[in-house]
Amino acid sequence: MSWRNQRVDDRLIHGQVVVAWGAALRLARLVVADDRSAANGWERELLASAAPDMRVTVLTVSEAAAAWDEEQRAPGAAMLIVRDLRAARAVVEGGAAVPSFTLGGLHYAPGKTKVNEYVYLDEADREDARTLLRRGVTLEVQDVPATRPQPLALLDRAVGP
Amino acid sequence: MSRIPALLVTHADLGAALLRAAEQIYGPVDGVEVLSNSGLSRADLEREIAARVARWPEGGLVLTDFPGGSCQQGGLLAARDRPEVVVVSGINLPALLDYLHNREQYPCGELAERLKAKAQDSVRVQRARPA
Repeated sequence: MSWRNQRVDDRLIHGQVVVAWGAALRLARLVVADDRSAANGWERELLASAAPDMRVTVLTVSEAAAAWDEEQRAPGAAMLIVRDLRAARAVVEGGAAVPSFTLGGLHYAPGKTKVNEYVYLDEADREDARTLLRRGVTLEVQDVPATRPQPLALLDRAVGP
Repeated sequence: MSRIPALLVTHADLGAALLRAAEQIYGPVDGVEVLSNSGLSRADLEREIAARVARWPEGGLVLTDFPGGSCQQGGLLAARDRPEVVVVSGINLPALLDYLHNREQYPCGELAERLKAKAQDSVRVQRARPA
């Protein structure tokens, strides 16, 4: 299967993704599911320029959900990247059989509380996380491959059952 | 020619450390701002950079550490409607020192190209000769 990881990261494509995960998973393709970026040709080019050795596709969230099966059959290891848990939930509710998401970077914003050094959530995020967990989607927290993935529900009791 | 302002945007504390290192060689530095990407989302980093470059009516340089990283992309997003603001990635100590020595000698675009050449030229592979 071509999908190697599905990442929730409000920086989308950046150093951790390209350098650390790119090498660890031998990624050939990055699929960004982000409505804002998909709507702007210049932002699509900017994201592609951040990973010059990979094939970068920028889709809307609904386009990414529809493309999940086809991308799974495509050659080359791939990572799906969404900006937040709302988009992650929307990809799944759009019909994509995503088995898991890795929370790699959800930084502080007003109203959000700390889960760890690089993940902050508010109540809307937690509700999206609970919905994903109820649908059987695994949610783990891990920024770079050299760290150990940890279940979100263990780090954040408010998300747990 | 007026001085070209600069903002160092880097991972962790690299920008502050680079500036401290530059001061050991150049002397006290003013007119260079430092911003770390630590704890900032893509949108917040863009906003923080935009707020700083807004104070440059005649443009300036956003100096970032890593091509393709969040700092460089944040700089480009913040400068999208400011052609007089130029983003240079891969900044290192020789390039920062060159900026300090030449920031009143060149227009912004020429200075950016000069820093690129300086940074690239400073990476060398050499071996000592056997005694």
